[in-house]
Amino acid sequence: MRVLTVKLRRDLRRSRAQVLGIVVTVFVGVMLFGASYDAYQSLTASYETTFDRVGFADLWVTAAPEGLETTLAADPAVEAAETRHTVDVPFRIGDRRLVGRVVGVPEGATVNQVMVLDGAMFDPSAADQVVADQHLARAFQLEVGDTVEVATPAGWRPVTVVGIGASAEYLWPSKSRQELLALPDQFGVLYAPDPAVAAAGPAAVRDVVVRLREGVERDSELSRLAALAMAAGAGDTYTRDEQPSNAALQEDVQGFGEMSFLFPVLFLGAAGLGMWVLLTRMVVAQRAVIGTLRAEGMSRRQVFSHYLAYGVGTGLAGAIPGAAAGAGLALVIAHAYTGAIYVPITVVRVTPSTPVFGVLFGLVGGALAAWAPARRAMALEPAEAMRGPAPTGRGKVTLVERVWPGRLTAETRLVVRNALRNPRRSIATGLGVVLGLTLVLVSWGMIDTVQVLLDRQFRQIQQADAQVAFLAPPGDLSALGQVDGVAAVEPVVQAPVSIVAGDRTYGTILWGFDRDTTMHRFLTASDDELRLGDGLLVGVDLHDLLGVDVGDTVTVRVGPTGETFDVPIAGFVDEPLGTQAYMDLAVLDGIAPQVASLARQAMVRYRPDADPDVIRRSLEATPGVAAVVPTRALEAAADEYMGLFYAFVGIMLVLGAALAFVLVFNTMTVNLAERTVEVATMKAEGVSAAQLARLITVENLTVMVAATLPGLVVAYYVAAGFMASFDSDLFTFTLHIRPLTFLWTALAVLVAGFASQRPGLRTIRSLDVARVVRERSV
Amino acid sequence: MSEMAVRAEGLARTYGTGAVAVDALVGVDLEIESGQFVVLLGPSGSGKTTLLNLVGAIDVPTAGHLEVDGIRLDGLDGEGRTRFRREHVGFVFQFFNLIPTLTALENVQLITELTGRDGSDQARAALEAVGMADRADHFPAALSGGEQQRVAIARAVAKRPRLLLADEPTGALDLETGRRVLDVISRLNRERAMTVLLVTHNAVIAEMADRVIRLRDGRIVADTLNPNPVAADRLEW
Repeated sequence: MRVLTVKLRRDLRRSRAQVLGIVVTVFVGVMLFGASYDAYQSLTASYETTFDRVGFADLWVTAAPEGLETTLAADPAVEAAETRHTVDVPFRIGDRRLVGRVVGVPEGATVNQVMVLDGAMFDPSAADQVVADQHLARAFQLEVGDTVEVATPAGWRPVTVVGIGASAEYLWPSKSRQELLALPDQFGVLYAPDPAVAAAGPAAVRDVVVRLREGVERDSELSRLAALAMAAGAGDTYTRDEQPSNAALQEDVQGFGEMSFLFPVLFLGAAGLGMWVLLTRMVVAQRAVIGTLRAEGMSRRQVFSHYLAYGVGTGLAGAIPGAAAGAGLALVIAHAYTGAIYVPITVVRVTPSTPVFGVLFGLVGGALAAWAPARRAMALEPAEAMRGPAPTGRGKVTLVERVWPGRLTAETRLVVRNALRNPRRSIATGLGVVLGLTLVLVSWGMIDTVQVLLDRQFRQIQQADAQVAFLAPPGDLSALGQVDGVAAVEPVVQAPVSIVAGDRTYGTILWGFDRDTTMHRFLTASDDELRLGDGLLVGVDLHDLLGVDVGDTVTVRVGPTGETFDVPIAGFVDEPLGTQAYMDLAVLDGIAPQVASLARQAMVRYRPDADPDVIRRSLEATPGVAAVVPTRALEAAADEYMGLFYAFVGIMLVLGAALAFVLVFNTMTVNLAERTVEVATMKAEGVSAAQLARLITVENLTVMVAATLPGLVVAYYVAAGFMASFDSDLFTFTLHIRPLTFLWTALAVLVAGFASQRPGLRTIRSLDVARVVRERSV
Repeated sequence: MSEMAVRAEGLARTYGTGAVAVDALVGVDLEIESGQFVVLLGPSGSGKTTLLNLVGAIDVPTAGHLEVDGIRLDGLDGEGRTRFRREHVGFVFQFFNLIPTLTALENVQLITELTGRDGSDQARAALEAVGMADRADHFPAALSGGEQQRVAIARAVAKRPRLLLADEPTGALDLETGRRVLDVISRLNRERAMTVLLVTHNAVIAEMADRVIRLRDGRIVADTLNPNPVAADRLEW
């Protein structure tokens, strides 16, 4: 082995604690990159393979007019266009009820096929056979041969489950784009022969599902076909990207994509800083050696390559095992995730380029970190190097001392001046704090945000406890009000609609509430409360999506009934979940009487002391009631999942603290190493190890505390940017961080920084003064 | 006529510019024969280290002409100076500047490797020449000051330079150790016919030189030959 390589290896071993910290940081960064990026690739591949296998549609046309299927099927860009019907109706499974959806499957369907996972496909001519969606079957322990009752205006009608199946449309069982987070025991799907669904009457919505030919220019063709469908009188269109299940799953996939960027940036950034600090110190310490070697004929290029090799070697030492571990972790994540979502086809894609890129990140990151110190070593002139070590920082009176009233003690002056003595190193310490704060606050901020948004949606906005669906449109709701424990009952209408403004259309849900409803509050972004009037209240995202403002008139087209009316925008509400529309029920009754009757339901609020389960059973036992859907179940489910969230934040907290630890530890040990002689001299003069430890602790904490405030600001904006990347018309992810979260985050990182001093402080205690003074160790 | 190891005419070195300019060396004319043991003597700031650095091509003159081993240094660029140092000179400094993570042998071998020579044998021979062969596998921390300096000398001569430049090589050593180090340098000068330029402020050391050049304020103030050099082990200070 070449002697220079021996030197490199032994130098690294000499600083093994610092080097190990950097190696581990690179390892974690590269591993998380590989895991999240390959998981992203695997999930995408799993979905795409499933989509191809079942002929997942590229375009949906809802409330489609007769004959549109033929027109679209004849289009050269279209591979297949099929008509099918869907109807949202209550189900009764044993003694449990829910509002579900029956999806018609035409005989010989090639678009949106159902994959039968157990049992068999139904007989296309048998109106009483269904295939139960896997999520419904799992939530209600349905097996082949079981019976499910479906609500019809004539009463409950039993159907037999002949198979358990999966559809690309309901991989994530979303009811609609506006109700992405439906729970499996609150919403489920049955697949049935399409003629049987079409026979359900006016409630059945006629859809045309379209699959494009391979190789066509998707975006332009989809726009053209959608325009063609709308011109033919369709209610609405949406693409695969907008399809509710796919849109929800893409949010997750995007999350993995985001993480595959954020993690390497944070961790490799921290590792790079740590390496830079360590190597800068090493070059200073080896100044005389470099000068001697240069004097003996070592070329500048040899010096540069030698010091660059420290960064590259350290980067590779972390990146190679990190890339391997990332590939392994990606397999685990992909299997666990697709298993949890029940994606029928799991494709695990280990892209060879991912570990290669991971290793490259380590290599390039290490090289970049070492670049400046290596250049500095290279530029060192032998004659200059022989003049002795350069002083580490200049002494000068600081601004603090100038503005401080009275004279500071020598000890305080020393602390203040040392904190500012080497600005680059203090900045590196500060950056360690900032990176640690960022990692923790991004994840902790996610929890706070979800909790604040759930509180806004389910406590401040939604005031009802349950939504009641009926077998037939009810005339009188007084029976519900007489149920023991019910505090208030109001009629409500919920219907899918398209809102059209000029050439823009947005599909959403229209709610009709009493003008003075107590079941829903209409809050603006500035928390002002709006009242229902003659106009339409809409989610604030429609301001941009439709390009409308208060006072503008839009056209509302009701999906199931085809009723169309114009209505002015009366205001914009700011709601975390979905972008929906609200009208006065009486006004809706007047301008769209069919839907006001067909989709009429009731909202119920319980007394605070009542048992929700008892009331629910009583309500379900009321004549005419089909199902009772608790409106706050989602909040309860989210609370249950909070444990997982906390575990995630716990991991991030550990990683964030570790980041701060590694950087502060490195800067701290370098700080001490540079000052070994002066520390030894102070010890020789009688300053105790405890006094020195106190001085250095205060000095480091001063830098860390000074970095905390700007660090929290930076972390806040990074967290806000991270959240904003998930923000859409479906979810409003506006960052909310509680004041205490800032405090705990800052404390956690400061404690990590404080702990990182301990090895350095131990060195002070064990410092051999005689040896240091004799050898002038550098 | 003897071969000239060093030939300087009007050699000058100024540090800084304008009001803060310091003339470290002013118009030095000098010729040193090959194989001579020359001591550069003078107080701090007299310009002796500057002269040594210029001869060793680790510094660049601001004026004048300088030729070492027949090579004109004042016209060389950085690469050229590195090549010159690699092939023609060895340096010994007051502080030994050994790499603490390498053994004595590895410290020497590093230079032979870097300068493209066969590593191990030449390094061992150099350690042998300075009487350190039995300590070859020791790390610097396990060596005394004198031993470290002898390893530093071995490092300087392992590549067999024509010129050995020593800057206060005994400055950090006690009398006995210093004498041993000087003896090694003297032997190398005799046995290998290596030209030696040794900088010191210790006038006693001048007694072992063939020639003594005294400097003051950047100028040569005296240049004397010593017909009877004293052996290193007889020096007292």
